[in-house]
Amino acid sequence: MPHDVSRRDFLRGGAAAGLGATSLGAFGFAAIEAAHAATIRPFKLARMVETRNTCPYCAVACGIIMYAPQAAPGAKRTLMHIEGDPDHPTNRGTLCPKGAALLDFVRAPTRLTVPRYRAPGAKEFKEVAWDWALDRVARLFKDDRDKNLVTTNASGVTVNRWITTGFLAASASTNESAWATYKVVRGAGALVFDNQARV
Amino acid sequence: MSPEITPQIEPVPIGEFAEPDFVRLPEPVALFRARADRLRALSATHTLAPYLVFLAELAAIQERIAASLPSPKPLSPEELEAAVADTRAPLDRLLFVPDEFALAVSDKLLAALADVAIPEAAVQAVGRLKAADAATRQAALQHTLRTLPVAEVLAEHALLSAALQVVFAAAAATLPPQRLQPVADGVCPVCGSPPLASLLAGWQGARGTRYCACGLCGTFWNYVRIKCTLCGSTKGIAYHGIEGDAGTIKAESCESCRRYVKILYQQKDPALEPMADDIGSLGLDLLMREAGFARGAVNPFLLGY
Repeated sequence: MPHDVSRRDFLRGGAAAGLGATSLGAFGFAAIEAAHAATIRPFKLARMVETRNTCPYCAVACGIIMYAPQAAPGAKRTLMHIEGDPDHPTNRGTLCPKGAALLDFVRAPTRLTVPRYRAPGAKEFKEVAWDWALDRVARLFKDDRDKNLVTTNASGVTVNRWITTGFLAASASTNESAWATYKVVRGAGALVFDNQARV
Repeated sequence: MSPEITPQIEPVPIGEFAEPDFVRLPEPVALFRARADRLRALSATHTLAPYLVFLAELAAIQERIAASLPSPKPLSPEELEAAVADTRAPLDRLLFVPDEFALAVSDKLLAALADVAIPEAAVQAVGRLKAADAATRQAALQHTLRTLPVAEVLAEHALLSAALQVVFAAAAATLPPQRLQPVADGVCPVCGSPPLASLLAGWQGARGTRYCACGLCGTFWNYVRIKCTLCGSTKGIAYHGIEGDAGTIKAESCESCRRYVKILYQQKDPALEPMADDIGSLGLDLLMREAGFARGAVNPFLLGY
């Protein structure tokens, strides 16, 4: 590798021992080079992580860039800024008002991060475990389907339709989750099925 | 009740975005003039002022030579289309054989250096290059394009690189931009050099998109953001800036190859010039080295870091 100059002298001298062979030194500027290094020493680096993602709002699926500064050791990173991704062919860096407000959406103290349940007649929601919530949804689905599945129509033709329960999915799903959703819902015979842009 | 939230809408300008051009070819005279101006402007408040002033003189000489040159013979359509078909850089620096034109440019550059105040070490390097015969100079020019120099010839390497920058910028300016295409990650689509730095474009029609800058031919080529400009990885890309500065220059580091290349935020400061500001931000290189990252950019005036 023709990287002799930088690597060899770096390894030999290291940053603390001073500067090795450099262009500045070769032109006779070693003294100001060392002075410059001394002025920089007190400074620190600030690290920012940038990540690409897709806006979760609607089916347009605009590209976004999310910025998070490095957190203190052990602490969780906090999102600092979100902007449109100029490389994304859909939005070329632009965002609609909802997308432009994504930062508040992500950091909202009211953001739903766990399932919550309000029992019939109760006034308040309470947090529940995912297992409990999914079991309950499955139980209610099953009970309703067992009771209301229409297997044949008036002429005796097999139809297997289930129209007493509906399913609302999100339009910003991945292909894989959309495929799985379709298979489960249609497989159960449910006809009331839609994808909503603002879930 | 949930706490009251005050929405903070961040304004995003809409309507000035378009699909960016893949390349922006150099205008040699303007390129070197902008470089000289920027180096002089940086030298006003910089610890490295004497070096920046010297490089400004060099860039001013490059500008004068570029202005005085006849337009080079453009690449023939057959050669260009052959390069396009093979996904090669049409002016590949590794295949370039220094011709009479390149020798003449290096002669002019060395002669012009006699008329300006330059450091003693530069005077000596100029003397050594002038003393060499044409064949030796030709070999040295070719060597300059192909490899990084050993410590003893850093000054000669920088001076010959300056001459080659003029030659390649003049040749790049003759290419049809619409026939150029990406060649590989971390490679200039015109001359095959690694990127000197990248910048978030501040110009109309490409705002916020990223361009890599070639240190040899001066071409800017569009390159997706948040992706290593050297190895093409998109994992663990981070941006390191000097705490408390204006945030206009950062080091884009890659977890995969543990190297970094600087990125200049031209929308924040339109005066940024890749070559001049790469040298002006040497402090960032020193801090990045302490952080354990290797410098990935190759700048003939900033070797050894």
